[in-house]
Amino acid sequence: MATIIFYILAMTALAATGMCITRRNPVHAVIYLVNSLFAVALIFYLLGAPLVAAWEVIIYAGAVMVLFLFIIMMLELAPTEQPQGAGWRRWAPVLLFSLIILGCTVALMAVDPDAAEGVPTYYASPRIFGYTLFQEYALAVQIVSFQLLYAAVGAYYVGRTPRRRQEAG
Amino acid sequence: MSAADLAALAPILILALGSAAVLLTGAWWPRCAPLLWGGAAIALAAAFTAALYSPPTLEIAGFFRSDGYGRFFTVLWSAVAALTLMTSLRYAEERHFEGGEYAALILFGAAGMALLSASVSFVGLFLGLEAFTLVLYILIAFHREDPLGAEAGLKYLVMGAVATGFLAFGIALLYTASGTFRIAEAMTALGAGAEMRPVAMAGMAMFLTAVGFKVSLVPFHLWTPDVYQGAPAPVAGLLSTGSKGAVFAALVTMWGGLEVGRDLLEPLLWALSAITMLVGTFCALRQENLKRLLAYSSVVHMGYVLIGLLAGGADGNGAVVFYLVAYTVVNLGAFGIIASFSREGGEPQNFEDFRGLGYRHPLRCGTMAVFLFSLAGVPPTAGFIGKFGIFYAAVGSGYILLALLGVLASLVSLYYYLRVIIVMFMSDIAAFPLHRGTFSEKAAVGLCLLATLWLGVLPGALLDLITRIL
Repeated sequence: MATIIFYILAMTALAATGMCITRRNPVHAVIYLVNSLFAVALIFYLLGAPLVAAWEVIIYAGAVMVLFLFIIMMLELAPTEQPQGAGWRRWAPVLLFSLIILGCTVALMAVDPDAAEGVPTYYASPRIFGYTLFQEYALAVQIVSFQLLYAAVGAYYVGRTPRRRQEAG
Repeated sequence: MSAADLAALAPILILALGSAAVLLTGAWWPRCAPLLWGGAAIALAAAFTAALYSPPTLEIAGFFRSDGYGRFFTVLWSAVAALTLMTSLRYAEERHFEGGEYAALILFGAAGMALLSASVSFVGLFLGLEAFTLVLYILIAFHREDPLGAEAGLKYLVMGAVATGFLAFGIALLYTASGTFRIAEAMTALGAGAEMRPVAMAGMAMFLTAVGFKVSLVPFHLWTPDVYQGAPAPVAGLLSTGSKGAVFAALVTMWGGLEVGRDLLEPLLWALSAITMLVGTFCALRQENLKRLLAYSSVVHMGYVLIGLLAGGADGNGAVVFYLVAYTVVNLGAFGIIASFSREGGEPQNFEDFRGLGYRHPLRCGTMAVFLFSLAGVPPTAGFIGKFGIFYAAVGSGYILLALLGVLASLVSLYYYLRVIIVMFMSDIAAFPLHRGTFSEKAAVGLCLLATLWLGVLPGALLDLITRIL
């Protein structure tokens, strides 16, 4: 059962990613990417990593993709002209992927609610994960924090209007 | 993280916390020159700490080594950061850079380079590499009013992001095959009898792609000339020295003679090295812009270093480390001179700008000539000893053809380096007088010149030191 669901989800993720990188409309691309991320999240769940699955949904599909959408809206990158062809050809793949993912989720919940068929030895509870992250990898967390600080500084610096120009204008 | 780990991290802590301090100071007290001097002082403090303080542990949290090797490169990259800040003083002020951000970024970049050079785990390697790559994305585009700089920054960002993707995939596959992030143990998955060898090989191929991008090996070199041309001269100096040298320093730890998987990696590295030297040399021949010329020259030099890495053993690894030091000193000096000539309107880059400049600015043009001779490998400069060591190790390990190619590339390189010298000294004065240079710029370039000649005449001390830390 788990194997069949894995292959279905893997195919869905691949197909959705393929659609994502071939779309001209960035908003459509983001929607396909969200589909792909959901499929990958379910695969993580199957592998006995529910924590990572939850993050995949919350951080990637949630926060990052919403930021993408915000930026697309702010910069007005979405095309304004009406697309050619029938409407259903645009939304049918999304609907299909979403239904597959929904179906797999329901199947998992009905058959294997604890993800017990996954690999229990690798099951990482939030507590164990936290210990590993903040003890064994504490230094890595610190370095990444510094990187994020400088990424923010850099984005702010490059994006800001220079002081001189502000005074002149 | 124990107290011993923290003590061993002291130089890195000085760099990272110092960069944060400079950043905060700059927010309330936006004076460019004092902040840059402060940054240079912090970098020097880190260098002295790493040189003089011998930490109680040899490894930090299983990620980085804090033995002689790691400390050696911490000293080197901290010094590079200090010299870069010194050559940036006037450059940054005239272009109205924010001193706090600029100095902080360079200091954190040096911390990243030091971490990468000392990494013994793929986690450490990835973090170190990303730390300074991220900093360079911003530094390259730091001059916001320069469209070339913005273009260069974007090019480096897009290609760098792809390379980072390759690096992460490669590390993931190597981890899949070996079950460990520790480089020495992960490499055993490449061995002939290893269970998941194809997976490990795919991982190594992706890893090599990312490395090839970072040190601009052909065919991953295409970004190099454009980015060098667009980046501010001091940043280009940092980009061509620290960002490449640190990667090679990590590779020396990683391969250490290529005991496992040699049968598959050897032909690949051989071909990469040969094609890098050939393509780099031919592209350099046609350049009319000094920064682009130095970019292609750095491509060729990375080909030489790869020969040393391939030769391996004590000879090869020692030659690689010596070459990295020699190359760093020389390139930093050359870009420092370009920065010292720069005026508010821009930097002199095209050969036209240098026509007959040797008569107006004989000292700095003479110094530039010494640096170019060192890059070409003419005695008595550091470049000669470096190349001698590399080719000696190559012949000793049986890479005669590769050594021959290297020597030929060096011979041809004399042509394009001499062209710059001819333009500077043997044509009528046509160039406009450029900036007279300030004390800090001249001091930084002078230090590089001194090191170039010292390493060329009396390389014994450094060679002994390298033998001890390897």
